[in-house]
Amino acid sequence: MKRILAMILAVLMMATLFVGCGEKEGAGGSATALEPEQGAKLKVWAPDAAQEVFKAQCQAFVDQYPDAGITFEVVVQGEGDAAAQVLNDPEAAADVFSFACDQLNKLNDAGVIAPVNTKLLEDVTARNSEDSVKAGTLPFNGQDTLLAYPETGDNGYFLYYDKSVVSEEDAKTLEGVFEACRKAGRKFIMDAGNGFYSCIFPFTGGLRIEGLEGEENDTQKFNDYNEEEVVAALEAFAKLFHEYDDIFESGEVAKIPSGFAENPKSVAAGIDGSWDAATIQNALGDDFGAVKLPTIDVNGEAKQMVSLHGYKLIGVNAQSKFPNAAQLLANHLTSEACQLERAEKISWGPSNIKAAESDAAKNNVAISAALDQAKFSVPQINMSSTFWDPMGNLGNNLFKEDAKYDTKTLTELLEKTIVNIRDE
Amino acid sequence: MKYIEYMQLNPFQRFWYNFSTAMKAFPGKVKAFFVAIGTLIVNFFKGIGKGVAAYVSRFIKGDWATKLSYIIMGTGNFSKGQYIKGLLYFLLEIAYIAYMIFFGWGYMKKFPTLGTVEQGMQINPATGGYELMPGDYSMLILLYGVLTIVITAIFLVVYVVNTVSAYKIQQSVLAGEKPATFKEELKDLLDNRFHVTLLAFPTLTISVFTILPLVFMILIAFTNYNKAHLAPGKLFTWVGFETFSEIFAMTEGASKGATFIELTKWTLIWAVFATVLNYLFGMILALMINKKGIKFKALWRTLFVITVAVPQFVTLLLMNQMLQVDGAVNVLLMNLGLIDKGILFLNSTALIARITVIVVNCWIGIPYTILITSGILMNIPADLYESATIDGAGPVRSFFSITLPYMLFVTTPYLITNFIGNVNNFNVIYLLTTGGPSTENLYQAGYTDLLVTWLFKLTMNSQDYNLAAAVGILVFIVCATLSLITFNLTKSAKNEEEFS
Amino acid sequence: MIKSYKLKRGLANGFIYLVLSVLGLIWISPLVYLVLHSFRDEGLATVSYLLPKTYSFKNYIDLFTDTATLNFPKWFMNTLIVAIFSCIISTLAVLMVSYSFSRLRFKARKPLINVGMILGMFPGFMTMIAIYYLLKAMNLTQTLLALVICYSAGAGLGYQISKGFFDTIPRALDEAATIDGATRNQIFWKIILPMSKPIVVYTVLTSFIGPWTDFILAKIIMGDNRDNYTVAIGLQTMVSLEFKAAYFKRFLAGSVIVAVPISILFLFMQRYYVEGVTAGGVKG
Repeated sequence: MKRILAMILAVLMMATLFVGCGEKEGAGGSATALEPEQGAKLKVWAPDAAQEVFKAQCQAFVDQYPDAGITFEVVVQGEGDAAAQVLNDPEAAADVFSFACDQLNKLNDAGVIAPVNTKLLEDVTARNSEDSVKAGTLPFNGQDTLLAYPETGDNGYFLYYDKSVVSEEDAKTLEGVFEACRKAGRKFIMDAGNGFYSCIFPFTGGLRIEGLEGEENDTQKFNDYNEEEVVAALEAFAKLFHEYDDIFESGEVAKIPSGFAENPKSVAAGIDGSWDAATIQNALGDDFGAVKLPTIDVNGEAKQMVSLHGYKLIGVNAQSKFPNAAQLLANHLTSEACQLERAEKISWGPSNIKAAESDAAKNNVAISAALDQAKFSVPQINMSSTFWDPMGNLGNNLFKEDAKYDTKTLTELLEKTIVNIRDE
Repeated sequence: MKYIEYMQLNPFQRFWYNFSTAMKAFPGKVKAFFVAIGTLIVNFFKGIGKGVAAYVSRFIKGDWATKLSYIIMGTGNFSKGQYIKGLLYFLLEIAYIAYMIFFGWGYMKKFPTLGTVEQGMQINPATGGYELMPGDYSMLILLYGVLTIVITAIFLVVYVVNTVSAYKIQQSVLAGEKPATFKEELKDLLDNRFHVTLLAFPTLTISVFTILPLVFMILIAFTNYNKAHLAPGKLFTWVGFETFSEIFAMTEGASKGATFIELTKWTLIWAVFATVLNYLFGMILALMINKKGIKFKALWRTLFVITVAVPQFVTLLLMNQMLQVDGAVNVLLMNLGLIDKGILFLNSTALIARITVIVVNCWIGIPYTILITSGILMNIPADLYESATIDGAGPVRSFFSITLPYMLFVTTPYLITNFIGNVNNFNVIYLLTTGGPSTENLYQAGYTDLLVTWLFKLTMNSQDYNLAAAVGILVFIVCATLSLITFNLTKSAKNEEEFS
Repeated sequence: MIKSYKLKRGLANGFIYLVLSVLGLIWISPLVYLVLHSFRDEGLATVSYLLPKTYSFKNYIDLFTDTATLNFPKWFMNTLIVAIFSCIISTLAVLMVSYSFSRLRFKARKPLINVGMILGMFPGFMTMIAIYYLLKAMNLTQTLLALVICYSAGAGLGYQISKGFFDTIPRALDEAATIDGATRNQIFWKIILPMSKPIVVYTVLTSFIGPWTDFILAKIIMGDNRDNYTVAIGLQTMVSLEFKAAYFKRFLAGSVIVAVPISILFLFMQRYYVEGVTAGGVKG
């Protein structure tokens, strides 16, 4: 809460700054509108799937400034290790790069990302969803600052299912999904030993992460959670996994599209992200189903499964030789029109409020599933790098054949996990 | 124990005897080792002292050209007609000075602090953008600082050689000799000083691309370069031995200290099993293939050896796939009716996963042993076996009393390198299990993680660069100690056993 | 008596045949699995049965024609170039170092041998970032030349086996040649090298295989320059999260393509390899 407040304050302060400068037109006003440098050369990093779209959109940007003589190149670079690549050699990295929001604090700590230009800030903040802006905001020079442009709003995971096996009604509860899978003798797959997915289990019980704290600002902060409730949720998951150990399988997510594509199909449902949407849709055809995560029965109460939800952001390299052009390009690439185009062409869920309301987004099953799930999610921001290993271990201990899952064991496990993540 | 008593022991007793004598001698050897290092250091400084004295006396005795060589390199050689050599010295000096002015000195002077100016970003009111005010880049200061030190050291050597050369040629001219021409010197490089020619290039590349990076890594262990001090945004600086005390710290939860101890134990167990099993089974297989009367030798050998030709990361990724709960191995076992539910080979208990990685490593390593031992096995004198057979020894006994001791005797260097290779065996563990199964008792590591995969994870996942560097140093100490022990063991064994 | 001996030997041999067949099957089956599934037509990354149901050349054809995103043929050529050059330089370096350590006597010999041994005991990961910035200072990052340098710079440290081999060549040969007036340079090229075919082949083989398998250092050096990737990074990319589902079968096909030439080379050179390592690896 404090954080949001601080951010709003920061935004307001920026706004007053503009007023103070005597700008009546506000941001985007023509008198002192941001102009790209003459002859700017920009390198853009985009993932493989988005190459064509990005090239076209960059060209459109160049055409907006016919006199500036801007040139660009779009280079393939996955979002997953973009930060690692930038840190490796900021000088050789792209001017404008697309990355997943959990890498933001690394980029910020290393001082390799330039915050959003203050002249564009107001517009960027206003047009994107509140959570996506939060995902791009971190303390910078002692103040909460928007460091990167929100690019997508759907970098999370949800439930994929085969409609010929799992009915829409079944897909509402995890018990229903499992039962339907068992009837068809087909599997349910999720990567339960991977912290990115296994955090569902404690999150569903009410655990939350709340940024970093501590002397060097590298200790994960958690909310004031109710331990009994969290353990109860863990117990419910563990029980279910053991009860349905014939159909529940923990494995890498690539197995989900593989299992759907097999003949006969070996998988009936799984938890996977939007990046596999096209492949799965291809495999399932008319039976393609995607929906927010189901609920799980915890001591008689149906609790919505809570996920970790990420955003893709576009950042500007602090060492860019053409910072203004780079900022403008990032702004352009994350504009409503561009987000809409990507939603239509490559099924990327928008972070832009208007684009998310559009038919293109709403009619896309995978995008709407992701955006639905976003409402029951913890934003994947400001996380310690020590989060993933212990959290993955927690997941492993819920489904392993010989794992004990009584209240006492799980309480101990949870406590140890928290201690290990905090690593003090 | 007398020789005759020793000869009556069985191989195991002999081994034990050798082992225990070597172990008893070990503390003394370690002491001798450190004394030797101490003497080396003392001698080094003595040598420097002598060198300085000679350096000064050459200057005093030198003529004008020799004296000038102390400032302008190559003058001595040039004035006596060795134009090319003199010119080369001179150009080298120019190059060094240029390097220092344009590159080296800037980093060198910041080396003691690793930088003081932190990078900043401030809003430029005109554009509204954040402008970068570059600060000191601690990592580059450290790296290029080390580079400059190395280059300076090399230059100093050349500089001293230059003064020696100038003095020498002055002496020989005085003695009425004709100074060697450049051509003659080149010729000498192909004969008497051929080692200089041969070693110059490899030494240079090894210094730059192996030694220099290693020094850099070692120095990082003494800084606070970690996720809280990422370059170029933040500065990092020297912290002495703090990182090492962090490794040995026992804190609540999965402490680094406990992790280090557990992983060291497992690394050693792994290395022993991986080395010994590969060695034994590889040798037995090689014996079988090469046994008299076995047909299709080439076919059998090819069958095993062909696996060496497929890149390791491919076979290992494939193995990982095949060992999954619904992978090929489990499917096969289920089809055969041996099990009715898939086994989690890689991700259930520590024991199963550890056995699995050792077995898979056998698959990888045994072909190499077959390749290497086949030839040596043929060299064992046949009459040794014949006399053993006449004495009524079966194949098992002759293996343990003839083959194994002989092979151990001949292949110890291979075994040692193999052992060190296994301590540092990154591929098998990382690609097969990525260290799993996970546990809440270890910091950023799983049950099959070796020290070197832990090191890799610390670097890549959690940016604990200084911790990783410190672990690297400790891995080195483990390897060096073990090699020392084994060398001593084999030395004592070699004194006792005479074969050829 | 003789009969029972024969029977016994026959039984023993039968047992050995049995062991060899079973183990041979175990050793070769992952490779068979690899080859069969590289021709698999149906399904995506994994299937839950042993043998493919339909076969086709599609994966191979895609590998060489669908090069817009993952340009396998280019990577293959890159690797070949890097492998050839680094193999030539490495072999020369190894021979030069091991020859001087084995045949020549000079003051720094012992210390240098010890330094060489010690350097081999450090785990190398932390040094990669240093290597990257050194190459950057030379303006070489993201080039194939940088890879050649990396793979051959440290080659001299692998002198042990080759030195062991040279140690077995009688020194009397050198002495006789010296009496005949040959320089050490001539001895190296005209006498020792022609006798060293096994160790040369061994060194060539090991240094040729290196570039096909390294995927960590090469990735750091190449960064985002996909045109200069080697097959190892390329294959590794194909099994990354983004590509795995769609590209795994092509990964298998690519692996087979990489494995075939190396296997053939290996099988032809095997004899020398064994000779080299046998003569050199034992005395150290």
